[in-house]
Amino acid sequence: MRTAIVSVLLSLALIELPPRSAAAEPDLLRLTKDGHLKQRPCWSPDGKQVAFARHEGATILLFLRDLKTGKEERLTSGDAPEYDAVFSPDGASMLLTFDKTSPNQGDIEVYRLALTDRKLIPQATTQGALSHEESPCWSPDSKRLAFTSTKHGNQELYVADIAGGDWVRLTTDAAIDAHPAWSPDGRTIAFATNRWGDLEIALIDPDGSNLRRLTYSKGLDDYPAWSPDGRRLAFTSNRDGNLEIYLQPLSGDAVNVTRHEGIDNFPAWTPEGRIAFVSDRDDGFDLYSLIPSAP
Amino acid sequence: MLKIGRLRPHECRGVSRRELLSAGMLSAIGVSLADVLRWQAEAAEERKAPAKSTILLWLWGGPSHLDSLDMKPKAPVEYRGPYAPIATSVPGIEIGELQPKLAQRAHKFSIIRSLRGTSNDHGIAGTIGLTGNTAGAASLSGQTIAGALQPNHGAIVSKVLGFSPTVPRFITVGGHLHQGKRAITGEGAAALGPMHDPFRLEYHPERGIEIPHLKLAEGLTPSGIDARERLLTEFDQLARNVDRSESISRLDAYYQQAFSLLTKAGSRELFDLSREPDQLRRRYGRFRFGQCCLLARRLVEAGTRFVQVNWSSHVEPVEDTGDGGWDMHDRYFQQYQDRHAWMLDQALSALLDDLDERGLLPETTVVAVGEFGRTPKINNKSGRDHWEHCYSGIVAGGGLRAGRVVGASDRLGEYPINRPATSADLFATVLTQMGIDTTALTTNGLLPQGTVIEELT
Repeated sequence: MRTAIVSVLLSLALIELPPRSAAAEPDLLRLTKDGHLKQRPCWSPDGKQVAFARHEGATILLFLRDLKTGKEERLTSGDAPEYDAVFSPDGASMLLTFDKTSPNQGDIEVYRLALTDRKLIPQATTQGALSHEESPCWSPDSKRLAFTSTKHGNQELYVADIAGGDWVRLTTDAAIDAHPAWSPDGRTIAFATNRWGDLEIALIDPDGSNLRRLTYSKGLDDYPAWSPDGRRLAFTSNRDGNLEIYLQPLSGDAVNVTRHEGIDNFPAWTPEGRIAFVSDRDDGFDLYSLIPSAP
Repeated sequence: MLKIGRLRPHECRGVSRRELLSAGMLSAIGVSLADVLRWQAEAAEERKAPAKSTILLWLWGGPSHLDSLDMKPKAPVEYRGPYAPIATSVPGIEIGELQPKLAQRAHKFSIIRSLRGTSNDHGIAGTIGLTGNTAGAASLSGQTIAGALQPNHGAIVSKVLGFSPTVPRFITVGGHLHQGKRAITGEGAAALGPMHDPFRLEYHPERGIEIPHLKLAEGLTPSGIDARERLLTEFDQLARNVDRSESISRLDAYYQQAFSLLTKAGSRELFDLSREPDQLRRRYGRFRFGQCCLLARRLVEAGTRFVQVNWSSHVEPVEDTGDGGWDMHDRYFQQYQDRHAWMLDQALSALLDDLDERGLLPETTVVAVGEFGRTPKINNKSGRDHWEHCYSGIVAGGGLRAGRVVGASDRLGEYPINRPATSADLFATVLTQMGIDTTALTTNGLLPQGTVIEELT
């Protein structure tokens, strides 16, 4: 039926030039080319898929990308902002974070997603409080998760059983503790904290003991990611003036593995030992991976 | 490539749209030859002012000053936040580590660290920020502050410098500003009349530039027309009948200006960002705000005198049509670090460089500010709440002094301890640089708001 209301909204669409090819480093692979900002990529244990959050304007939604075909699909069917999806070690499920919009702004929760039927199960949530639970990661035995929460008034690290039950609070400091990453041997959780000034990478045992500082840089160190062999940590740092991916052995000095004037952020590891990250080095933000040099 | 449907000039038949505009537009909106002559005289006068144009980057929602322009590294951890200050190109001035590009350009701008307001309500503070006055402001609860709503600073520029039938004097890039579902007041011309309302554009990363106001006016509704070809015919019929039809008089100024902008080849090119070198577009950033800043430069280059770029339409960071607002009551640092910080750093730095390289910075004032700051003390959701008592802003170009800090806040960033200033003072300074001083305001029947910040001039 013809509409009675004519609203002429002229769109001066622009033809976007194809993005430049990936930088010349022989080991560098560009995995996406849409240019939208992405964050927190995570590889499936079999190396066939990568999950990541993609921003389009102010929306942020999770996608699953088949690395062989390039085909993508939404991870959920919801409209709420979602991010920080991580595969379980057996690849059967994922943990992810849901945000809320007004009037429940600030009510953020961790859910578990069964990849077989896409059923969502509340995993780390609170009732009656606008706290936020986010940044989940799995223990290597798939039985526990670590995450951050503001349940007790400041952003702290917690550990809980996947099966449910009480949370174990690992940190108690007025600083912000963020982005836990469980080591492959299950003995250590790396995280970012500003308790010593600006953001640094720290290590703590899963029972909350043995807190120690790993990085000592002037500048931000964040988003720690363990190498598959558990001997090194990749993380984001701006210690050289802009955001780069650094590689830090458990003892020794960190090395800049990206060395690019663009923004390199959100490191992750592929099962075969490549470092993946998000970068705007070409045109917009896309996923890349490279073979790290020593250490 | 530019796509504007079939509304192309060469498709005009009979009286051309250009003729329509030149013959009918001015009279249709009540502009006389005397007005034109007066504006020409004023235009000659205005050239004596240091600044010809202003670009306001409106950081809707309210950025935190403690994490960007007014770091407090010695404050307790509950205040200082997770970021460290870094040196800038100006010895003695430090800003946040997440603005490395701006730090390298500190000699091109000044920082005001002692801005203060009187309301922590987005709606009221937004109206104050855009008009210099609380009158007519609408609060979150729906209450309206008594008094006549004052015109937006851009509308004042349009009024004093005069209506331009080709390029709008005052353009807003971005959607209407909202607090929740309520649109705020102060974006328009108020009593100055719709002719001085902002001509509104929007940029969408996929769809390009949109002109929301280009709608057929009531009375022109061609019932039954559902194809652009028929629509075009209606336009052309209108053009042929302009002398005897009163339909044109029912078109509002927006429409006529849009009509002009879209039918004149030079005007259409104004919106075509693909005409810019790809490298430059990348410098601004392939995100909405970055490209909007590039569009703002093109607009002032073409003669627009006041461009307001809205960072977002809504204050909230996760439910907006723009890049997400700055109202980060929770997860401030996460969102600031992941997106807002580098977006502002990249886009504003590129804008300053681009204007500078083209010789436009001395005659273009750039302001980057929100409606207020955020609580120095971090809340229990890793966020910062509204804080009107002290916040910071950036001013650059337009003949204003650069490479300096005006004012100071106390050790926690809670209150100004030196040279407190209001947003009205800031825009009194901006307008004065454009030759719109107290005398010019009162001559045009406008109420002066605020006092010039002498340290910047």
